[in-house]
Amino acid sequence: MTAEPKVAKSPAMIEARGVEKWYPNGFHALRGVDLTVQRGEVVVIMGPSGSGKSTFIRTFNALEDFQKGSITVDGIALNDDLRQIDAIRREVGMVFQQFNLFPHLSVLDNLTLAPVLVRKRSKGDVLNQAMALLERVGIAEQAHKFPGQLSGGQQQRVAIARSLCMEPRILLFDEPTSSLDPEMVREVLEVMQGLAADGMTMVVVTHEVGFARQVADRVVLMADGQVVEEAMPEQFFDHPQHERSRQFLSQIL
Amino acid sequence: MPRVVRSSLRKELFANPIDGLVSVLLISGVGAAGYGLIHWALTQAQWVVIQANSTLFAVGRYPIEQQWRLWLLVALVAAATGLSWGALRGLPQRDRPITAVWPRNDRIAAIVLVALCGWAPAALGLAWPIQARWWALTALLLVLRWLAGRYASRLRKVATLGLPLLWPLLYLVGMVLIGGGLGLVTVGANEWGGLLLTLIEASFAILLSAPLGVVLALGRRSSLPLLRWGSIAYIEFIRGAPLITLLFLGQNILGFLLPGGLAPDRIWRAAWILTFFSAAYLAEAVRAGLAAVPRGQLEAARSLGLNLPQALSRVVLPQALRIALPATVGQFISLLQDTTLLSLIGLLDLLGTARSVMANPLYLGKSAEVYLTLAVLFWCCCAALGLGSRALERRLNPPTLGP
Ligand SMILES: Nc1ncnc2c1ncn2[C@@H]1O[C@H](COP(=O)(O)OP(=O)(O)OP(=O)(O)O)[C@@H](O)[C@H]1O
Ligand SMILES: [Mg+2]
Repeated sequence: MTAEPKVAKSPAMIEARGVEKWYPNGFHALRGVDLTVQRGEVVVIMGPSGSGKSTFIRTFNALEDFQKGSITVDGIALNDDLRQIDAIRREVGMVFQQFNLFPHLSVLDNLTLAPVLVRKRSKGDVLNQAMALLERVGIAEQAHKFPGQLSGGQQQRVAIARSLCMEPRILLFDEPTSSLDPEMVREVLEVMQGLAADGMTMVVVTHEVGFARQVADRVVLMADGQVVEEAMPEQFFDHPQHERSRQFLSQIL
Repeated sequence: MPRVVRSSLRKELFANPIDGLVSVLLISGVGAAGYGLIHWALTQAQWVVIQANSTLFAVGRYPIEQQWRLWLLVALVAAATGLSWGALRGLPQRDRPITAVWPRNDRIAAIVLVALCGWAPAALGLAWPIQARWWALTALLLVLRWLAGRYASRLRKVATLGLPLLWPLLYLVGMVLIGGGLGLVTVGANEWGGLLLTLIEASFAILLSAPLGVVLALGRRSSLPLLRWGSIAYIEFIRGAPLITLLFLGQNILGFLLPGGLAPDRIWRAAWILTFFSAAYLAEAVRAGLAAVPRGQLEAARSLGLNLPQALSRVVLPQALRIALPATVGQFISLLQDTTLLSLIGLLDLLGTARSVMANPLYLGKSAEVYLTLAVLFWCCCAALGLGSRALERRLNPPTLGP
């Protein structure tokens, strides 16, 4: 990884340049990926299974490392400096396919844990904000339950609220609705749509075409560790330029 | 017999001819053995060997004029037990709501305790004042159990924070009371014996091997090669060697390794060996717990900005330790039983004391009485550990969706 000087706020929220990653077993998962995400933009990443979508967005908050290229998040270069990584993780929220709520903590404690520990905010202060966030995602009445007592859709909304409670500047979503029953997909997508409308910068890996069409500013298609096509949603879904994109769309539409 | 009980008994024991036959055979076998044992215990056994040596079994050769310190310690332990028991009752039991201050199981336990303290001191032929002391101790335990249970819901925060601190603190106080110092006359470790020594060794090893085991388990999963291989080598070495060889090794080697005055007393050497031994097994229990926590938990914690120590201590370990609790307590129980090996290296623990008593020509041929008493004593200690851990486990399980 090239040591990049820490630059003052660049206009882009995320700048990935020529990112290459090999897994320890030698698998070349990312083969020179470029992506720029502007402030307030919603970018949807699509692509066949195994194309490296998860690997790519997980490099943004250093859950995966990479060997070549550079990534800058909100002006902070991602390198091996642990303090930089912590600084970036504070600003980047992530929502997982499996929710990953902390099952031994109540919903409210799931939300307040990180702000109190990491941002050193007072518990009372965070509690108010957490209740407001639960209100916003429509589950304030479940605040004192435990994750295991909630439905999948409710759990994913708690997970979104938990990320928001850290007041991140970017939210990453890795297939947030893929493990939900169909009737719960909508409630989660509505929350995400609301966030986009409020100007949150979001990178979303999803196969929800309706969401991509309505909410995304750009759609990116990845295949075999590379970006194949990058376009506005209407352009991408109605007039895909590349053979690989047409092939992929014919499978999911 | 109520009809429900009768019909369920019938279903469980006599559902078909073969079941019925097996049941009859089992019941008559167990019945005959039980009858034989009770018959022997009541008519043939000569319990005078236990009565005459009860103090020896309890505390070994601990000086009589200092034994008030042990009484005080027992009183403190009884008080702490009562408090913990009651407080645990008040914690929300997550699979069913709290119902009463004295739920059925607790009533049974209390009745058993009262019966035991009425019967055992009398059966041992203790003097009246001593018997009265045991009654007072039992009363203290039950009264504190009642008070703590009554006000537990109000003191929940204090209980969850205070109880884990109370016991280690009590341990330190107990060690001062037993060993002396801080103005008390010193009673050397070589004067401890019997149940006292067994419990000291076991509790020392339990308290210290728990954190050591967690560290080893984390080390084994660490990404730092030195730490990982060190932990693996340690765990596998210890688990590959029989405890008795380690105990002998410890008695001899520690003396050579450490310069003169630093080598701990034989009793402490044994305690450290037990600790190191138990830590290796605990590490495996904790490792299984860590492996059962999904990877996503650590990732979610890290992506929220928690650093590794925070993520481990607040997210991963609480879940891993809860999963590892039954195996951990199982390890503690076998550790308690393993302390009997100390008699083989010449320490006068419970078994060592018993062997010295049985070597007395006066009590020739009385080993059955002695061994039965030891078995019952050990069984009581282990049952208490097991019951406590199950109660704790049920309260630590997070609630899930469902009936
Ligand atoms: N820890 C790992 N070690 C080796 N190879 C891995 C590892 N994790 C993922 N891979 C491989 O890297 C490739 C990209 O994986 P990734 O999870 O990023 O794909 P994806 O696009 O998110 O797929 P999906 O839609 O199934 O989630 C896959 O071929 C996968 O097998
Ligand atoms: Mg994926």
